[in-house]
Amino acid sequence: MASKLFLIPLLPLLGALINLTVGRKLSRGFVHAVAVASVSASLGVVLWTLWELWGVYKATGYVGGELRQVVYTWIEVGNFKVELAFRMDTLSAVMCFVVTFIGTLIHIYSTGYMADEKRYAAYFGYLNLFMGSMLILVLGSNLPVMFIGWEGVGVCSFLLIGFYFEREDYANAGRKAFVVNRIGDFAFLLGMFLLYWATKDLGAGNSLDFATLSSDAAKAAYGKSFWGGERLAAAAGILLFIGACGKSAQIPLYVWLPDAMAGPTPVSALIHAATMVTAGVYMVARMSVLFSMSTTALIVVSTIGLLTALTAAFYAFAQTDLKKVLAYSTVSQLGFMFVAVGTGNYAFGIFHVVTHAFFKAGLFLGAGSVMHAMSGSGDIMKMGGLRKRLPITHATFLIYCLAIAGFPGLAGFFSKDEILAGAYAAHLDGWPAWYGKFLWAGLTVAALGTAFYMWRLYFLVFAGECRADEETQHHIHESPFAMTFPLVVLAIGTVLVGWLGMPHLWHAHGWQKVFHGVSYWLDPSVADAPTVAGAEHLTKTKIIWLMITATVVGLAGIFMAWRIYGKGPSAGIANLVEHDPNARALYQASKNKLWVDELYEKIILGPFRWLARGLFQLVDRFLIDTVLVNGSAMAVSVFGRVTRWIQNGQVQRYMVGIILGAALIFLLTGRAAHPGISYRFVPEGVELQAYPGSGLAGEGATLRWDLRGDGAWDLTPEAEARLAAERAKGNQAPKIDPRTDYLDDPLLVRPTGEVGPFVRLEITDKVSGKAKVVTTHVVFPAAKPGAAAPSAAKAGGK
Amino acid sequence: MRTSLVRLVTGLAVVAIALVAALSLTGGVAAAQPAERAPGAAPAPTAQPGTAPRGTAPRIQIVDGAAKPAAAPAAGTPAPRIEDPRARDVINSNGPAMAVLFWIFALGMIGGAIFVITRRNMIAAVMGMVGTFFAVAGLYMMLYASFLAVIQMLVYAGAIMVLFVFVIMILNRPEDEPWGLVGLPGKILAGIALAYLTFRLGSLLASVKAPADALLAPPPVVVPPGAPTDAPTLYDWGSTAGVGWNLFNEYLFPFEAVSILLLVAVVGAIAIARPLKADDDDAAEGDAAAGEAS
Amino acid sequence: MNSVVTHIGYGHFLVLSAILFAIGVVGVLIRRNALIVMMSIELMLNAANIAIITFARMHGDVGGHSFALVVIAVAAAEVAVGLAILVAVFRGRRHIDVDRMTTLKY
Repeated sequence: MASKLFLIPLLPLLGALINLTVGRKLSRGFVHAVAVASVSASLGVVLWTLWELWGVYKATGYVGGELRQVVYTWIEVGNFKVELAFRMDTLSAVMCFVVTFIGTLIHIYSTGYMADEKRYAAYFGYLNLFMGSMLILVLGSNLPVMFIGWEGVGVCSFLLIGFYFEREDYANAGRKAFVVNRIGDFAFLLGMFLLYWATKDLGAGNSLDFATLSSDAAKAAYGKSFWGGERLAAAAGILLFIGACGKSAQIPLYVWLPDAMAGPTPVSALIHAATMVTAGVYMVARMSVLFSMSTTALIVVSTIGLLTALTAAFYAFAQTDLKKVLAYSTVSQLGFMFVAVGTGNYAFGIFHVVTHAFFKAGLFLGAGSVMHAMSGSGDIMKMGGLRKRLPITHATFLIYCLAIAGFPGLAGFFSKDEILAGAYAAHLDGWPAWYGKFLWAGLTVAALGTAFYMWRLYFLVFAGECRADEETQHHIHESPFAMTFPLVVLAIGTVLVGWLGMPHLWHAHGWQKVFHGVSYWLDPSVADAPTVAGAEHLTKTKIIWLMITATVVGLAGIFMAWRIYGKGPSAGIANLVEHDPNARALYQASKNKLWVDELYEKIILGPFRWLARGLFQLVDRFLIDTVLVNGSAMAVSVFGRVTRWIQNGQVQRYMVGIILGAALIFLLTGRAAHPGISYRFVPEGVELQAYPGSGLAGEGATLRWDLRGDGAWDLTPEAEARLAAERAKGNQAPKIDPRTDYLDDPLLVRPTGEVGPFVRLEITDKVSGKAKVVTTHVVFPAAKPGAAAPSAAKAGGK
Repeated sequence: MRTSLVRLVTGLAVVAIALVAALSLTGGVAAAQPAERAPGAAPAPTAQPGTAPRGTAPRIQIVDGAAKPAAAPAAGTPAPRIEDPRARDVINSNGPAMAVLFWIFALGMIGGAIFVITRRNMIAAVMGMVGTFFAVAGLYMMLYASFLAVIQMLVYAGAIMVLFVFVIMILNRPEDEPWGLVGLPGKILAGIALAYLTFRLGSLLASVKAPADALLAPPPVVVPPGAPTDAPTLYDWGSTAGVGWNLFNEYLFPFEAVSILLLVAVVGAIAIARPLKADDDDAAEGDAAAGEAS
Repeated sequence: MNSVVTHIGYGHFLVLSAILFAIGVVGVLIRRNALIVMMSIELMLNAANIAIITFARMHGDVGGHSFALVVIAVAAAEVAVGLAILVAVFRGRRHIDVDRMTTLKY
């Protein structure tokens, strides 16, 4: 039974409905009870369906399986048919689980973190709405339904980033996120249209369904040459990837994510770290068949991913805001994921999504806990020494930091190592042979940077002496249970979840479905990378060396961070920045994020503003205000001046109008009362239509026909029969009843032979009793000898 | 003023004479009939072939004479004679008296109407109106609408005109200029249009022929057997009984609706014409003016 | 004599009603005094009544009489309300000239 799939997004949406409509009137306890209950119920349904999916998966011999539910047919126009359908296969099941599991934890965390919030119900309403939209996104069975969720999470992101809209820069951050996402969404839509255009004849009326889009026929369509020798898959893939760039904060559309930290911290954890921003990765994995058809698209994806990973890591070095560091860390890690999917390692991209969701959500929640303790401040320069004051937060934070730095055995180690190994081994069709190695090298540098900035953050927050002022220090306290509980759960998850994706070093007898669970479980749902035939496989030795390299790099980053920031903010760095111009330039570049925001301001927003101002002057001021608004007002006033002459309130003027109108009616109906006959040839012969004329004279007029034009009014067939009978009886002058015996049908069909060339019609006006005779000349088509000849003979005979 | 009054009185006299003549003549025509339908032993009308009851009056049946245009009374049978309605149709008769009557009423009516719209003196106009109404009543009589003719005189000439006279007395203001000359071009145009309209309408109406069965109207009346001898044997088609029967059977709802309308009109008229409240400046002024005018 | 003059038919009555109606219209058009205008409206109603009665006679249907009775009743109601309005208007404006009554407010 797949019929409960719809419950998964519906339950949070119901929660949102309650909290957003009547929530303000309800008590806080009720509000968060509704929110948490709806989300955890959704988690329950997910686990239940997972169990069913497991059954299906096992029945297929561990190579596939999906659950599908059609709720109803949403759009059906011509052969464009979109169903509101949900699909849970192994890929969406993973995402569903992550979203609902982490979502539930963050809802619980929020009850503690947001306890003093005034708009408590609105917060939980938005959060539930987000959950519902995100679940629609991951469960949607076709691109349009996915797009509903895609836009839905965008709206919730906007609402939650701008949650503290009283501060203008926060409200602007929300707007920025929305606008930047729109750019991506536009490309996503274009990609969707292109895909529909390519596959519109496929899928037996299920347009844009993922099953259709993954079929072999669709593959053939993707393979067609589209533009400049590139396949259609390249164009569609790049368009979709631009959409993913917007949602998942990749270059060049990443600028919104750091600003998105204006939202409440649990929101950052849920939306801007664990779930929504990974939607792009999910979408690429979902469309893996398409992406695997074009190595151009994959090279774009992986290169952008690498660049993002490196630049974001670079930005994170000099940030002093706790959440900003984590935000850039998220952007960087998303870059890792895109490199993974861009090298065809879709499964491990998704694996990194999962592990990252655990440790990054944990990091954000930990950061929230720290900021909660520090009276809301996020400046890491004013922290330090919190290890003893916040023991649980510190312990879990340590685990997350180790995980993200790639410490062996923790979640981040396995997933990052798989990505690095996958990039190293990638030798895709059409790629330069060295490109995979180059990606690996770049990612290794990014990983080093990751370890460094994360541990810089750790040391600045937890090590050394506390640099906060007395007042703040006085208030430092460990967070309540509602907040520490999710931290602990996520930490446990961070320790365990990585083991699902161990590298294939040895055969785990009987346990391979657990330890290599990622590849077993996800492979049925994603395509294979378009690897060059005969490309080398990684040997066990190489895998071990790569692991050792990754571990060493991670530890090196930690060591560097300890050396420099082990005892608080580094005097050495400050000194260097102070005196060495090169170092200062570098530091400033990192601190100011390479001035990308300013660059966008100059090259995009500046001309755009100029254009907008021009349009404002031309279109708004001139065209709309002057021509349309004032112009139409002027037209109305001129018209009014004219009509005022008629509508002047004088009764007699109205009387004049009435009389003129009545006279006009008489004039027109008098003119229109042209009685006549029309005829046309039909298979049965001639169809004659009498027009007695309109108006008073035409209504109810009596008709008499003379079809042969012989001067005698035709009788009805019945009358003819009766007369013939009476004549046979010897009555030579049988009586004709003028009221009933004459033919008086307004519409007649007669065989051609019975109609003469001149048809006469007498119309007797009912009112005046006047009779009028009209005659019509019936012209028979000459080219029809079979029809014309006998009638001509007959007419001649008369 | 004096001359117009003289003319008015003359006109009224003419109308009155014409009316008397009309009444006497139509009465005369009607009076010629009773002998032919003297109450006597009458056979059941259902026995008459082709008889189709049209009304649902228990005592009076209006028989459609269409199928039996000239039922000659069988000798020796006491059946009431059902005469050819055409014989009763005085309007369509070629009698010169009828033509004279018609023209008198027609001229009286048109003359009165023109009097109404041309007089500067309001009372004269009202008197012209009364003359018109009398002439119209006469025309009603010629059309066998005797009940309506009486109602016309009672309601119009009696009630409505009295109301007009009252209001004229209240609003008695000398008129500077009786002709409304505002928008004269439009009115001239309308005059042309009206002439055309009247011509078209008149030519259409002048050519109206009675439908085939209209000549049978008014249908003859048969008094059913067993009817009391004081039954209205002269029961006529347009009489009070005839119209009443129709009004209270077929048109009961419109009748009741009209009664509501009249009630509303009465209440509305009182509400509108009532003096404004005392605290209103206009009211005091208006009342003073009204008092002054009357 | 001409048969149109001597032979009176339904057409005579109907044309008469048309003429009476036209006179009523002219009265409404040319007179300033609202009272005369109202009388002219009465003329038009009477013209309509004549036509109704004639047709009733023509078709032998006494229903036309009921109809005419309704018209008379409506005319009476109209006169009552109309005259009341005139009185009210006169109170405010000191005149009852229709070509000066161009606003609904007095």
